[in-house]
Amino acid sequence: MDLNAISFWVFSTLAVLSAIYVVFGKNIIYTVLSLISTLIMVSGLFFTMGAELVGALQILIYAVAIVVFYVLVISTVPQFKGQATDGKYMLLSIPVGFIVFLELAYVSIYGVWQSSTGIFDEKVLSELGNAKAVGTMLFTKYLFPFEVASLILLVAMIGAIILGRKKEDVQGV
Amino acid sequence: MSIPYEYYIVLSGLLMVLGLIGIMVRRNIITVLISTELMLNSVNIAFVAFDMKLHEVAGQVFVFFILTIAAAEAAVGLGLIMAIYRLKKDVDIEKITELKL
Repeated sequence: MDLNAISFWVFSTLAVLSAIYVVFGKNIIYTVLSLISTLIMVSGLFFTMGAELVGALQILIYAVAIVVFYVLVISTVPQFKGQATDGKYMLLSIPVGFIVFLELAYVSIYGVWQSSTGIFDEKVLSELGNAKAVGTMLFTKYLFPFEVASLILLVAMIGAIILGRKKEDVQGV
Repeated sequence: MSIPYEYYIVLSGLLMVLGLIGIMVRRNIITVLISTELMLNSVNIAFVAFDMKLHEVAGQVFVFFILTIAAAEAAVGLGLIMAIYRLKKDVDIEKITELKL
């Protein structure tokens, strides 16, 4: 058992355990903290798969920027009084989740995607490096979606500002 | 690359189903959005695992886009939650039933 396998099992076990707490935990602060734990473990899994750039971005964007949004909103909304989970839907969700899991596993493993393979095998990747390979693809073949993504971020920022503004400010303008 | 990619796919499916269960059973809107983040992460794992299998990097480019969309979704979704809270003084899903028949 080499280091890669050990880290895979450690990261995946911790990711699933913290995801279970995210779904079923009572305290919302602990829920957000377990979300951070899950995100960091997923980033570690990216590193075990050899995707260093995406793993670093996962920590920078997800585990720092997005979680800060949640903490901010939780600090403004007062404590949630009601029950954390709804027993009515709990019984329904387990079989539905199991069926969806079987379908996902079947489609992903026996799908028709196996026909095509790319050029970035281990030799090319060890020559180029992961970050350079991803950056080259991002700025050549996927340049237009990249620019559109910046537009989406701008629109989301304007939308968040307008939605978050108080009503009195609108009348005052 | 000693771990076969199927293990990653199974882990991704597990996280996806956990996020789905979270969306179904949770009653606080903020935790429903947090479960959505779990589902987005599981898709990221699947993209990178298929990249490893197919000798490609296009999936990692799409992980970029998913990160962008997740940031936009969190900003707009949490802004909506703040607006709902200001209107109803509550974030319980069972109490927000204006569109219910």
